[in-house]
Amino acid sequence: MRVAVEEKVLSENDKLAMRLRARFRAHRVFCINLISSPGSGKTALLERTLAALPAQARVAVLTGDIQTENDARRLARAGFPVKQITTGGTCHLDAAMVEKALADWQLADLDVLFIENVGNLVCPTSYDLGEHAKIVVFSVTEGEDKPLKYPSIFAIAELCVVNKVDLLPYVPFDLARAIANVRQVHPGMEVIETSCTQLQGLDAWLAWIERRRQRALTEPEGGEPLS
Amino acid sequence: MHELAIASAIVERAQAVAQANGGGRVLKLGLRVGEISGVDPDALTFGIDALCRGTPLEGVALEMERPKRRQRCAACKTEFEPEGFLVACPACQHQTSECIAGTELDVTYIELEDP
Repeated sequence: MRVAVEEKVLSENDKLAMRLRARFRAHRVFCINLISSPGSGKTALLERTLAALPAQARVAVLTGDIQTENDARRLARAGFPVKQITTGGTCHLDAAMVEKALADWQLADLDVLFIENVGNLVCPTSYDLGEHAKIVVFSVTEGEDKPLKYPSIFAIAELCVVNKVDLLPYVPFDLARAIANVRQVHPGMEVIETSCTQLQGLDAWLAWIERRRQRALTEPEGGEPLS
Repeated sequence: MHELAIASAIVERAQAVAQANGGGRVLKLGLRVGEISGVDPDALTFGIDALCRGTPLEGVALEMERPKRRQRCAACKTEFEPEGFLVACPACQHQTSECIAGTELDVTYIELEDP
């Protein structure tokens, strides 16, 4: 006997993600999901981002790792609400983890929620967290062919941040080719070059966030999942 | 390696469907795993086998459809399967297109032993 099912394997996650998306919309919270390999600088980028914001900014961070509270401790120095999600082995965040982490926060108090995913270019790609945009961070110490080797995340992310550009003189990384590789996978993709140690490109990054936030507020149905 | 979490969701779904349809043994699962779903078919098969061992689903057969990535050109609406990740439209060379297939990760059917 054959029973037709025809549903998404991750339909449970997608349902929770839609619920989160509805809550973000209701409270006018702009949410971004940062994805990269381990060590490409997601936490450093967020540290610099938080440090650049005025004390009254209504922002918060959820940061995911398999173990340790180290990232939350680093990020909490800026004085904004930060919560660590330790997955205990799971290589990505899912919508249930985000929902649980948000349980004792008032979304009405926030304008922007940053989610720093577990360092991994593969698995976080499959999990909708209800965010408006996925952003891929790609550092110049990783090799310019990363977008070709891990195309899925580059295909669905809205923005690629190329980080650690201060190291370009010291590493065999062809920036022009790297950006061409990004755009081969995702034609027209926006790219911002940053250095979190030399404070380069951060103005462009902050401006992108604000521009994208305004768009999310005026087009509240935007940011739907790809599939 | 998120295939195990995905395998677990599939096995749970199969068990629930079997329960709801008389509790018969599950013989076969139909799956649809798109080319750019981010899921490796071998790792997924391994995960399902491992999770089913010692359960009524042990030895379940898998039929996996593997839809190719398909794009629709933003300018002329031609649908095409890109070669690798070169996604210019083959008809008009336009650079922008939307992904219309290839990201699927679905359970399509579950085959149960007849009661």
